[in-house]
Amino acid sequence: MRRVSKFLSPLFVCALAIVSAQAQGPRNVRVDYKETTLKNGLRVITVEDHSAPVVAVSITYNVGSRNERQGRTGFAHLFEHMMFKGSENVGSGEHFMLVFNNGGNMNGTTNEDRTNYFEILPANQIDLGLFLEADRMKSLAITKENLDNQRNAVQEERRLGVDNQPYGKSGEIQQELLYDNFAYKHSTIGSMEDLNAASVEDVAAFFKMYYAPNNAVLVLVGDFKTPEALAKIRSNFESIPRQPDPPTVDMAEPEQKAERRASVDDQLARAPRVDLAFKAVPGNTADFYALQVLSAVLQGGQSSRLYQKMVKEKEMVTGVGGFMDEKRGVGAFYTNATLRPGVKAEDIESTIYAEMNRLKEEPIADWELQKAKNTTRRNLINGLQSALTRAITLGQYTVYYNEPALINARLDKVAAVTKEDVQRVANKYLVDTNRTVVITMPKAKAKPATGASGQ
Amino acid sequence: MRIMKNRSFAVALVLMMLVSSLALGQGTAPAGQGGQTTKGAVIKGKAPVNKEVLKVKLPRAEEATLKNGLQVVVLPMHKVPTFNMQLVVLSGGLSDKADYRGLSSFTAALLREGTTKRSSKEIAEQVDALGATLTATSGLSSLTSVVNTGGLIENLDQTLDLFADVIRNPTFPQAEVDRYKTRTLATLQLQRSIPQFLAAEQFQRAIYGTSHPASLVAPPAESIKKLTSKDLADFHSTYYRPNNAILAVVGDVTLKEILPKLEKVLGDWQKGDVPAATIPQAPAQADARIYLIDRPGSVQTVLQLGTLGIERTSPDYFSVLLADRVLGGGPSGRLFLNLREDKGYTYGAYSNFGGSKFRGTWISSSEVRTDVTEGAMKEFMYELNRLRSETVPAEELDNAKRAIIGSFALSLEQPGTLLQNIITQKIYNLPADYWDTYPQKVSAITAADVQKAAQKYLDMSHLQVVAVGDASKAREVLGKYGKVELYDADGKPVTGGSESNNK
Repeated sequence: MRRVSKFLSPLFVCALAIVSAQAQGPRNVRVDYKETTLKNGLRVITVEDHSAPVVAVSITYNVGSRNERQGRTGFAHLFEHMMFKGSENVGSGEHFMLVFNNGGNMNGTTNEDRTNYFEILPANQIDLGLFLEADRMKSLAITKENLDNQRNAVQEERRLGVDNQPYGKSGEIQQELLYDNFAYKHSTIGSMEDLNAASVEDVAAFFKMYYAPNNAVLVLVGDFKTPEALAKIRSNFESIPRQPDPPTVDMAEPEQKAERRASVDDQLARAPRVDLAFKAVPGNTADFYALQVLSAVLQGGQSSRLYQKMVKEKEMVTGVGGFMDEKRGVGAFYTNATLRPGVKAEDIESTIYAEMNRLKEEPIADWELQKAKNTTRRNLINGLQSALTRAITLGQYTVYYNEPALINARLDKVAAVTKEDVQRVANKYLVDTNRTVVITMPKAKAKPATGASGQ
Repeated sequence: MRIMKNRSFAVALVLMMLVSSLALGQGTAPAGQGGQTTKGAVIKGKAPVNKEVLKVKLPRAEEATLKNGLQVVVLPMHKVPTFNMQLVVLSGGLSDKADYRGLSSFTAALLREGTTKRSSKEIAEQVDALGATLTATSGLSSLTSVVNTGGLIENLDQTLDLFADVIRNPTFPQAEVDRYKTRTLATLQLQRSIPQFLAAEQFQRAIYGTSHPASLVAPPAESIKKLTSKDLADFHSTYYRPNNAILAVVGDVTLKEILPKLEKVLGDWQKGDVPAATIPQAPAQADARIYLIDRPGSVQTVLQLGTLGIERTSPDYFSVLLADRVLGGGPSGRLFLNLREDKGYTYGAYSNFGGSKFRGTWISSSEVRTDVTEGAMKEFMYELNRLRSETVPAEELDNAKRAIIGSFALSLEQPGTLLQNIITQKIYNLPADYWDTYPQKVSAITAADVQKAAQKYLDMSHLQVVAVGDASKAREVLGKYGKVELYDADGKPVTGGSESNNK
């Protein structure tokens, strides 16, 4: 999944992977939550859980890079960084220090469809967590100096993750080629040029429009008594004024009529790579869940068809994998492979397409369907173990689909997928006219006589 | 078998004032009185902080030993119906022969590529169909080899059957060994495109020379090329023995429930005479040196600076733990606040240390855009020197202590962390109450202890500096700190650039 964070935090790499259920027998885990809406429109979800002495706070704002305008790519994420640079009662950087110095952990992340902020703290620091989130929703301090500082940090984040890494640019190029609607037709990290163009006025206007209580979902999970927690939430948040609802984004994505293709010369890469994307459907739809099951069969784990065929049998690639991307708008089905020396990209493509065709022609095996369902069931259940993952997931489902209940219903939606569904979606989406192909080739080393630092 | 402990999972919450928290928030000059600025952060001191550190009681593991000597540790956690399990074989890369580095890691990697009962493909299909995971790893300088599995509790019996099969009956089919060689040799090339890999490779060599196993971050190609099925089978039959292993389980199961199942699949696993590994001591610290790896096309310089650190059991462990936390332990550390929040040079700057039965490293690192390489070097040197020359202010030290002790509350919903703590205690023969008394040990460290640790281990006359980036730009900057030894991205010295290293 493409997302960018406030800073690198391996602790919170939580994959909201596909989810499954079994109709009867095994114990399932239910998340009992309570929904409350404050007078200013802030939606609040609470989950009381006394199994560990922690409290997780998440706020999901209904804004992401899809809300950006031309010339301001990367802005939603740059703004997210500004949320850590101080507010009326919290100094620049004090947020980090207060959370970590009290035994907690935190981060903020931005993707195309939403921006979230979260803390997990020892349970006796609940007041701190709520205060930190409320103060910056209420009174973000915006200065040119802080903006310049975080512009630099974000540009280094881009260099670290994109410009200084092999294949770093390939994903961005694919995204721009795949989509027609500007909402998704640019990366969340944004371009250097657009990041440079962002101004203090942009930050202030964005804050007023999107960082309003009526455009956010607050989730609290952990070791507290609900009435007391709700009272604290009201006293921290209810006085923050509502703002006019932000304009809705047109997410219409025209049907693709022909294959799209690009090649990338990459000076930092040492082996060719093939990146495929098939334009598909929004998340939380029947076809989306069927494509997730299909992905598990085709490219999930060592038993997958592509791994067995390409890594083991033909020894064509050092790695192959992919996923069905979950988006509020139209998501895509992704597959990528890194080639062994001497292998041709066209042979990789034809091998993958042959395996995709097999999915169109024959039903998958019983064990493959079972694999998809068991794997996703386990991933979902394991995610529910952590208070923080529950807080983040509830916020995301509410902002994405207006459906917090999905946290309990998702298992059934995957369980409902049949072999026929998998065959049907293979025929519907994995077709050549619907395909976007990016081939990355290592660029022959030029002698760095001029010392140019770009590529 | 005998059951040593059988206390149920219970968390008792005790609110306790930290002994050393007297300076918090008030009473000392730089405390949060509003408007106080540290480098990179402005402390207004208005947010409501509960001054009490939530002290938690860690859950007890249930333990037993099978007749064949296999130690079993179970940490029941019934919140969700899943489990995770590790077989920790107490032999790893340190048992590799000097001319065959990587054998333990190859053995682990090929464990699931075929057994007397199942082919590689059958194992893959059966594991995945259960929704389980099954992996095995060992490091080039590790004390252990670890086989991991995890899955849904309703599939425990079937998962255990697969787990025991790959542990006891691997056949290392030659065809699979050959595929592994091909794949791994190609992967070695791919790693060379990652700048952090190149930096780590040179840094480990700078600290450990050429003969210590920790001098390597990837197995040598020569080892991969000569690999045979027999070598793997020999390593396996020598070291994978129940009397040389700990089986650790966490999840929705109790010792009483799982013991009969373990008896069934592992009870008749035969003991063996396992040779003890010789612990190779780290070489004497080299004089300070600067290595630059030229990576054409780089837009950042990857910087890693550090020294030889401590053994895991060193009496200085808690002093270094706190010194490291203050220096670069996350976004509240000095490196992050200075290089990112104050200067905007980087996305992140951190320090970390690690120790085994031999001395580990203590590294500070960051990735910075090429044209601020000089500024970043200056700030790294400033922060390393500051930790040596000044005592840490009381409030800052106290914050570091609160951070470490407070995070124990979070670990109570992290089964993996709890399990790892238990394994660490066993591998290093730490006292049985080691983790229970950890907060007290952290609390006892003084600012003088921290400074002493910094002076002892962050010895600037032995500081190793590794930079990966565009040499045409970084070379002159680094030259201000000493003689620069230039390497290419294949790890080879560039002639005319410098003397050779690793003597």
